Amino acid sequence: MSSSVSVAAEWDLLSDRFYRRITIYSPLPWSSPATTTASSSGGGSSGVGRLDLSTHIVAAAPFGGPIAAVRDDSKIVQLHSEPSRRRLLLFSSSGHPLASSPWTPHLPRLHSLAFSSSLNLLALLSDGSLLRFRLPDLNPITSSSPVPLLPPASGGVADAVFWGGGVAILTEDNRVVVTTDIEVDDPHPRELADPGVAEDEQVLCMAVVEPQFVMSGSPEVLLAVGDRVVAVDEDGVQVLGEALEIGPVQKMAVSPNGKLLAAFAHDGRLLVIPTDFSRIIFEYECDSALPPDQIAWCGLDSVLLYWSEVLLMVGPNGDPVQYNYDEPVMLIPECDGVRILTNSSMEFLHRVPDSTTLIFGIGSMSPAALLYDARDHYDKQSAKAYDNYQLISSSLPEAIEACIDAAGYEFDVSRQHTLLRAATYGLAFCSRFPHGRFQEMCKILRVLNAVRDPEIGMPLTVKQYKLLTATVLIGRLINANQHLLALRISEYLNLNPEVVIMHWACEKITASAAIPDVVLLEGLLDKLRLCKGISYAAVAAHADNSGRRKLAAMLVDHESQSSKQIPLLLSIDEQDKALQKSIDSGDTDLVYLVLFHIWQKISVEKSAPLDFFGVINARPLARDLFIAYARHSKHEALKDFFLSTGRLQDAGFLLLKESRELERNPMASKGSPLHGPQVRLVEQAHRLFAETKEHLFESKSAEEHAKLLRVQHQLEVSTKQAIFVGSSVSDTIKTCIVMGNERAAVKVKSEFKVPDKRWYWLKSCALATVGNWDALETFSREKRPPGGYKPFVEACIDAGQKTEALKYIPKLTDPGERSEVLVRIRVDTAC
Amino acid sequence: MAQIPNLDNAALNLTALREQSQKELLSIIKSIRGKKCLVIDPKLAGTLSLILQTSALKEYGTELRILSADPLQTECPKVVYLVRSQLNFMKFVANQIKNDESKGLQREYHLYFVPRRIVACEKILEEEKVHQKLTIGEYPLYLVPLDEDVLSLELDYSLQECLIEGDTSSVWHVAKAIHKLEFAFGVIPNIRAKGVASTKAAELLNHMQLEDPVSMDNMGIPEIDTVILLDREVDMVTPMCSQLTYEGLLDEMLEIHNGSVEVDASIMGAQQDGKKVKVPLNSSDKLYKEIRDLNLHVVVQVVRQKATSIQQDYAEVKSTNTQSVSELKDFVKRLHSLPEIARHVNLAQHLQSFAAKPAFHARVEIEQIILEAQTYETCYEYIEEIIQKQEPIETVLRLLVLFSLTNGGLPKKNFDYLRREILHSYGFEHMPLLYNLEKAGLVKRQESRTNWPVISRALQLIVDIKDPENPDDIAYIFAGYAPLSIRLVQHAVRSGWRSIEELLKLLPGPHMDLKRVRCLDH
Repeated sequence: MSSSVSVAAEWDLLSDRFYRRITIYSPLPWSSPATTTASSSGGGSSGVGRLDLSTHIVAAAPFGGPIAAVRDDSKIVQLHSEPSRRRLLLFSSSGHPLASSPWTPHLPRLHSLAFSSSLNLLALLSDGSLLRFRLPDLNPITSSSPVPLLPPASGGVADAVFWGGGVAILTEDNRVVVTTDIEVDDPHPRELADPGVAEDEQVLCMAVVEPQFVMSGSPEVLLAVGDRVVAVDEDGVQVLGEALEIGPVQKMAVSPNGKLLAAFAHDGRLLVIPTDFSRIIFEYECDSALPPDQIAWCGLDSVLLYWSEVLLMVGPNGDPVQYNYDEPVMLIPECDGVRILTNSSMEFLHRVPDSTTLIFGIGSMSPAALLYDARDHYDKQSAKAYDNYQLISSSLPEAIEACIDAAGYEFDVSRQHTLLRAATYGLAFCSRFPHGRFQEMCKILRVLNAVRDPEIGMPLTVKQYKLLTATVLIGRLINANQHLLALRISEYLNLNPEVVIMHWACEKITASAAIPDVVLLEGLLDKLRLCKGISYAAVAAHADNSGRRKLAAMLVDHESQSSKQIPLLLSIDEQDKALQKSIDSGDTDLVYLVLFHIWQKISVEKSAPLDFFGVINARPLARDLFIAYARHSKHEALKDFFLSTGRLQDAGFLLLKESRELERNPMASKGSPLHGPQVRLVEQAHRLFAETKEHLFESKSAEEHAKLLRVQHQLEVSTKQAIFVGSSVSDTIKTCIVMGNERAAVKVKSEFKVPDKRWYWLKSCALATVGNWDALETFSREKRPPGGYKPFVEACIDAGQKTEALKYIPKLTDPGERSEVLVRIRVDTAC
Repeated sequence: MAQIPNLDNAALNLTALREQSQKELLSIIKSIRGKKCLVIDPKLAGTLSLILQTSALKEYGTELRILSADPLQTECPKVVYLVRSQLNFMKFVANQIKNDESKGLQREYHLYFVPRRIVACEKILEEEKVHQKLTIGEYPLYLVPLDEDVLSLELDYSLQECLIEGDTSSVWHVAKAIHKLEFAFGVIPNIRAKGVASTKAAELLNHMQLEDPVSMDNMGIPEIDTVILLDREVDMVTPMCSQLTYEGLLDEMLEIHNGSVEVDASIMGAQQDGKKVKVPLNSSDKLYKEIRDLNLHVVVQVVRQKATSIQQDYAEVKSTNTQSVSELKDFVKRLHSLPEIARHVNLAQHLQSFAAKPAFHARVEIEQIILEAQTYETCYEYIEEIIQKQEPIETVLRLLVLFSLTNGGLPKKNFDYLRREILHSYGFEHMPLLYNLEKAGLVKRQESRTNWPVISRALQLIVDIKDPENPDDIAYIFAGYAPLSIRLVQHAVRSGWRSIEELLKLLPGPHMDLKRVRCLDH
């Protein structure tokens, strides 16, 4: 087991646990070879050379994220070949420069740099204002001027603590300001309760319990003031742990799960206490009472303290482990360990996982170790391999699992291989082990190895990867312009490549200002076609925002979803096309959308509505929808439309509608001269109908209608009874007869040329209604009725006068009709 | 007597469909906390009664009101409008809000569009300056199960909108509703469409499947094999004829709305006069299911026979003591059907008082004559007479449309004369109505020879019913006329359009026979 021994020799024992430091990248180039200057903005890379942590303000993002740095101008620095103007520098974790941009001169002093959880770079200035930069090109977000976070006259930043979603700032006058939405346009800073720091007191240090760990959902800020620690939130201030008598605290750090606090006291003690200060979990007395420069948690099991040249790892029991560094160090806490950045290397310090200990632990005879050994023998074609197998056959699955698990924790690819090979040796004998587990680990390792490559520089561990998720990793890759790798990973993991291709297309457009539209379009379409259902409209919108309207128009043509395509067409001023597409879509709501857009534009531009009428008149659906809408709310516009497009009959009907509305209006009480306007509207309608050739019937009818209204008006005046207006010609005649005004009835009859047939129906009905049977009989004798005696018979029957009816039944000429009526009388009697 | 129909016997799982609609509505109601006033448009109120017991809404602190032009009377601090996206409702909503404001009432307003938000409606709200005050949402109710074998789109005005106003919103709506159905029951592999709107709806449906595909992989075999889409315009003849089945007569005389009729309580044998009662009419009523499609006189026989047999049983129960408990149980079970029998006895009796009138017979007779399209003069004079007699204008127009359709229009002189007689008899305010009928081609001037006889012969629309009690052809429902649309459906089901292509060309609009195959990725 010689090979295993050498592995464990590199481990350090802290109490009963092993820790190991893995060198991930060394040396760090800090400048790229001249050939790869992909994304850094011009001229930056040549000036970079070497990054000295001691002379720079540095930030590093967790989850193997990038490193940002700006020279610290509060320190005296010897400039070698560097330009004297400061630059904002961005590197991958492997030290490859990603971008740089000049630091705006004359800004207030830079206090600190940090990354937000979605990897925007944040720069807090000493006056409490915030600058935000987007990766990968370090373009300022929203505006290039800083966003103020502090209220005026607060004296600037004394201390600040960032977390993924926000920052807590301690001001010079000892107030605490917090923002939890650091990514949004308006970060909305708010001041917490006054921590109550007395004039002669000093805040020694500060830590934040992040909002996700606090019940209330808002962050809790811990301040060490004098010999007490206070917890400050929005509602108040609470003094913590007075009973513990810790004394003044010089340095604090909250554990990754938000439950524990590591505090370095003035007397050189390191204490680990719950964040509610209920008890001391353990304490360790350091050699130096000088507060450490940095303090950080390594996982949940140990705390790292860094003084210049010395890094001390303290655990709950036993002697601490000491590492020596002859160059400055930056501790970057991760969920499962700490990355240690120096000027020349990137290391990862973490607890050796259990499975790794089982296999490589000195003298380990665990099944996993034996399986690993068996594979070694097998490769050497030694029969001992099978001996080993027989020893562990009963616990083979655990052994396989341990090998697979341990492989996941390795950064060294060849060791991943050996471990996985050991697992496959076991798998050959063990059919009950879930094979998916092995494949899954292989997949994960492939992805991890790909992103750990120095060219990419994301040193993720398996645990970090699982916490970050593949989707977010892909998001980070595309934000770093690593589209090809992102696409490969998406495809490899069966994830939808849409987000990658979409981002690529947008970046491509931004970066291809010099490429002609047609060429660029071809290039874009090639890739967009890879992804079914991708939103061409979104890419087109980006093209439009990048000032390439023509390209946008070409792209939006490929969008299959009308509801996405049409709004975009409108925003790029392709109204005609939008209108046509909306009509083709069959979705009338989209047609309306376009119509209102055009209408709005016209009313803004004050161009004549005639243009609008012209546009819609050529398209029947648009035209009809406009009419339907205008009928409800825009009568005048509708009338204009009808008149200007020669639809006089429709204008005529519109006038008739208005006239009926006047009739319904209670103000136009009957018999009053208010009928005037109504008649005028009907007459206007008549003239409009008359102007068209095809609407002779309507024209005549409107004319008659107007005449009827006049006649009825006169009747109401002469009879002093408001019962005529609004009734029909027939009803008017009937009313006259019922009132006994035969003369008026005859007059109406002749004026409206009522046919005799109808006259007989109307008059007999009216006479029967008032029961004037004599008059009815006289009427029947006037002359032979043109339609026979049926009206007389029916009028009598309807009035329930069978005896009267019998007078006329014999006069019915049609025998069928006669018998029918007789049956009817009998039926009615039966009922 | 539940108005919500029982859907257990449906061929598709319509219960799930209805439950989905229930859930969506309740989640809207629940999302607005506290006491609220739910204001529904009148038509929708009826539709919702097919989905849930409106009393269930009260459990969530909801008062119910019907939307109208009048100010809203409620004490609730929150108002939830649930209205179909129709332009005319927007003014009502705006007026009610403005009225509240003028009274200094501070309320929270929500507006849910059914089935979806519409730009044009929101535009009106903007113009009325109330848009800002409303929280807007959607209630995507596209299809409502009316009965175990009927789903309704509840689009009352689609014909008018399509034929006269040129507003084809309902066509999109139809496609969307079918597409939604496909999400539940799988992509329908066969589409047969006839008419401008139907073919367009089929196209839209295909397009929707491209834009927002129903996955064909994990659905298994589609539950719906064929959808047949017919424009109403293709068969305007049938709805003009007087319906003669039991259900048809109920609709003609009492008007069936949302699966029920409203009748005077006295008709149903109750004592209180003048009060209206709602009688549900759906297949949950076993007797109704049996008799709904029969001729009225057959219905009377069936109902009488049922009553008599119970009576006999009763006599037997009374006279003998030998019956076993299980036989007695059977009898009691049959007694449970008594209320159903009584209900239909009452309704049938009421219908008979109409149907026995000579005027009704005369009308059915003239309809037959018109459909046979043989004797022009008789029909023309009949219509002239009923206009001059001022019979209800609906009756007149139905016959006139029927006449014009089967005759290929009316000679100009007759056409103008009848129209003038109508305006004189019923008032000039009917001018737009006549104009619209002409525009829709329902009553028009004769321009060419009618092809009705050809269609009628080829599709065997006129059938001599030999045994009206045991009819062997659908034509019995109109006393010898088989509805054109039903004949088309029969053909579409049997052999598709291919066998009647030439004939279809005689009917308005294009036709389409579409097979949708599983599209293979790449």
